[in-house]
Amino acid sequence: MKKISRYFILLLAVTALSCSQMKQEAPSCCSTKQHESPEPLPAVSGESLFLLDSKWETYRNDTLKFEDLAGKPVVAAMIFTNCPSACPRIVADMKILEEGLTTAEREQVRFLLISMDPKRDNPEQMQKFASDHRLNPDWIMIRSDRMATLEMANVLGVRINPLDDGGFDHSNTIHILNKTGEIAYQQHGLALEPTELLKQIRTLIN
Amino acid sequence: MSIVYRILFSSALLVAAFNLRAQTPAGMAMIPEGNYLPLYAGNNRTSVAPFYIDKHPVTNGEFLKFLESEPGWKKSAVKRLFADEGYLKHWVSDGMYRSAEKNSPVVNISWFAAKKYCECQGKRLPTTAEWERVAEAGWTVADGSREPGFNEWILAMASKPAPRSLPAVGTTKANYYGVWDMHGLVWEWTLDFNSIMSTGESRAATGSGDGLFCAGGSATSGDVSNYAAFLRYALRSSLKAGHVLQNLGFRCAADKK
Repeated sequence: MKKISRYFILLLAVTALSCSQMKQEAPSCCSTKQHESPEPLPAVSGESLFLLDSKWETYRNDTLKFEDLAGKPVVAAMIFTNCPSACPRIVADMKILEEGLTTAEREQVRFLLISMDPKRDNPEQMQKFASDHRLNPDWIMIRSDRMATLEMANVLGVRINPLDDGGFDHSNTIHILNKTGEIAYQQHGLALEPTELLKQIRTLIN
Repeated sequence: MSIVYRILFSSALLVAAFNLRAQTPAGMAMIPEGNYLPLYAGNNRTSVAPFYIDKHPVTNGEFLKFLESEPGWKKSAVKRLFADEGYLKHWVSDGMYRSAEKNSPVVNISWFAAKKYCECQGKRLPTTAEWERVAEAGWTVADGSREPGFNEWILAMASKPAPRSLPAVGTTKANYYGVWDMHGLVWEWTLDFNSIMSTGESRAATGSGDGLFCAGGSATSGDVSNYAAFLRYALRSSLKAGHVLQNLGFRCAADKK
């Protein structure tokens, strides 16, 4: 009898397990509040990155949405902290740009690093990167999940190719967003003179 | 007594097997774990975990239903950030396609719109690896390159001029997995289409793109006979996520849990 009941339990368990797997998951999205209701944000165009719904985690363990960046132009790049050469170069280019600004100008600009490696770039890792690269404390560094990262890359037109070793091939682009979150300018390539970027930023803050 | 055990045990197995089969969501096919040969990878096949994929591309009719619950994605409402101007331009009005095209694949659709549609079905876009794995399948065997006439058929389909009005989905041929229209109807978005580095960008990177340099006559690509795969690769490398094309649609996939 014992054996029979064991088989019955097995049968029940198998059935229950497979039934539970059959259960359809309710659609996870379909809450497009950014499309349906006019958001409180004024004067945001259809091309603004502030339309993005995604939530980001900063290296200070805060939550960030792109609309939080409103009001100041943003100098941004997608990087990952385990990046051997290209990303430190982008960050260096951004720092050269930063140094090219006067103190008054500097206060009117945000610097943003967006991780393309959400798996490994947790807040501690990003914090370490920020201190290794001696980033000014008002630089923002963020990560999200895979889908939000893909969406961000596509909004910015950044190509990202995951490699077997966990790293990435990627476009090397510095993006400038205006105060309302539209892409105002993009510089493709590394180690270029910051002349054009400075000019662009100055147009946006004046 | 032992025969009772056997009956019980085998019925348990049967129920289990039946339920495993029944798990495949309606309209989708289960693609078992396997691998595919990326264009640039020499002979290094990439493994692909098991997943589900829609048997057909998403149709105009299906997309219209989506718009009923997501009016923000209508032609008149969509944000420029998420779709270029030609978005749904083949539709006769903001909310209607040509009636003859109800079951034709929806095209003139951006990556963002395709991604959103799939998410609202509790699905996602297939990765390029997943899509290409399904596209490798012939009609009767998992490896289409071993099927006489299959490559020739794909080439014939690829070189056919696009008709003014797209035919309905499910009118080409089903493949080994029961998936339709992987060839010969429309190009399709993949989740990670943006993972191909174009040559201008790979100069500063270590460049897996190097393998495809001079793609037209590349000796480093895995399967030079697969001209259609070259075309898909080239298309993906030229796309941006907001782009729309009159012969670019999509279908959804889902993880197999």
